[in-house]
Amino acid sequence: MDHLTEMLKGTLEGCVLEIIDSEETYGYAITRRLNELGFADVVEGTVYTILLRLERNRLVQVTKRPSGLGPPRKFYALNEAGRQELATFWAKWEYITSRIDKLKEGRR
Amino acid sequence: MNFWETITGSDLTREWKAFEARAEALPADYRAAWEEINRHLSPYTDFTGRNLIPILDGALGLLEETAADGQSIHEVLGDDIEGFCAALAGGQGARSYRDRWREQLNRNVARKLGRLGG
Amino acid sequence: MGIQDIIEGKKQWRAHMARVKALPPDYQIVYQEMQRYFFKVGPVDLPDGPLLSGIVDFFEEGAANGKGVLQLIGNDVAAFCDDLIKDSRTYADIYQQSISGKPGTADK
Repeated sequence: MDHLTEMLKGTLEGCVLEIIDSEETYGYAITRRLNELGFADVVEGTVYTILLRLERNRLVQVTKRPSGLGPPRKFYALNEAGRQELATFWAKWEYITSRIDKLKEGRR
Repeated sequence: MNFWETITGSDLTREWKAFEARAEALPADYRAAWEEINRHLSPYTDFTGRNLIPILDGALGLLEETAADGQSIHEVLGDDIEGFCAALAGGQGARSYRDRWREQLNRNVARKLGRLGG
Repeated sequence: MGIQDIIEGKKQWRAHMARVKALPPDYQIVYQEMQRYFFKVGPVDLPDGPLLSGIVDFFEEGAANGKGVLQLIGNDVAAFCDDLIKDSRTYADIYQQSISGKPGTADK
């Protein structure tokens, strides 16, 4: 599906948190994962801005590792604050989707 | 005579001198634009002018950087220096100016990448 | 450190720009335009924050992976820039606060 950007905006950060939570990973891999999920519009730059924000808000632990080609890669893992943020994200998600589903069920 | 000399206290003289020295090094059309920016920003200043120092610093930085690139001043600031200054100070019309900068950025990128044949 | 310091031939700044010059042409073009945009918008942490050097890190990695710059960050370069400085206060914000004179809005 195309043109999801606007609707995705508020949730992408949560998606990235979830992906990082399952394993320590880096920007390009996160982008690919999102693309495979069906979010084809998401580019690496989008993920980069999210990772930057997570880092600034101290929700992730960053480790630089040498990569096969090119400069070293930054790997991201969630810290305790990050895991809490992720839990909050899913709680909010549940809340919003249950309300919106209700709205949808109510239509004639 | 500029508004700094009339308004600012002596503690800002040093900053102002540094600005002037930097402005001296600019090409003439850029220097003229700098003076115009000063004029348009003057309504935004408080008694000391201290609140404008970082904003002027950024504006002068932009002029220095684009002058070094050999761009025309018109390409950098457009026609509306007054609007540019309002946007710098975050005043009324700031939002529309920032939108214009956005468009300008994307347009410049498209044009220059196109020229590259990419 | 003010913006003039980073522009006026400070060693650090020269090293930074040397890295920019080493990027492929399309990356250089986009970097320059982005930097110019940031100078106008004036996020307060521009001169000594990791923003600009972080972009070069990110661009180097993208170039090393053989990607074009717009492939990496998407066509809307301005949106990418705004995402990068979303949490940053600008000098204009601070100025507006200083004249609004509201108690408690002044930064500590």
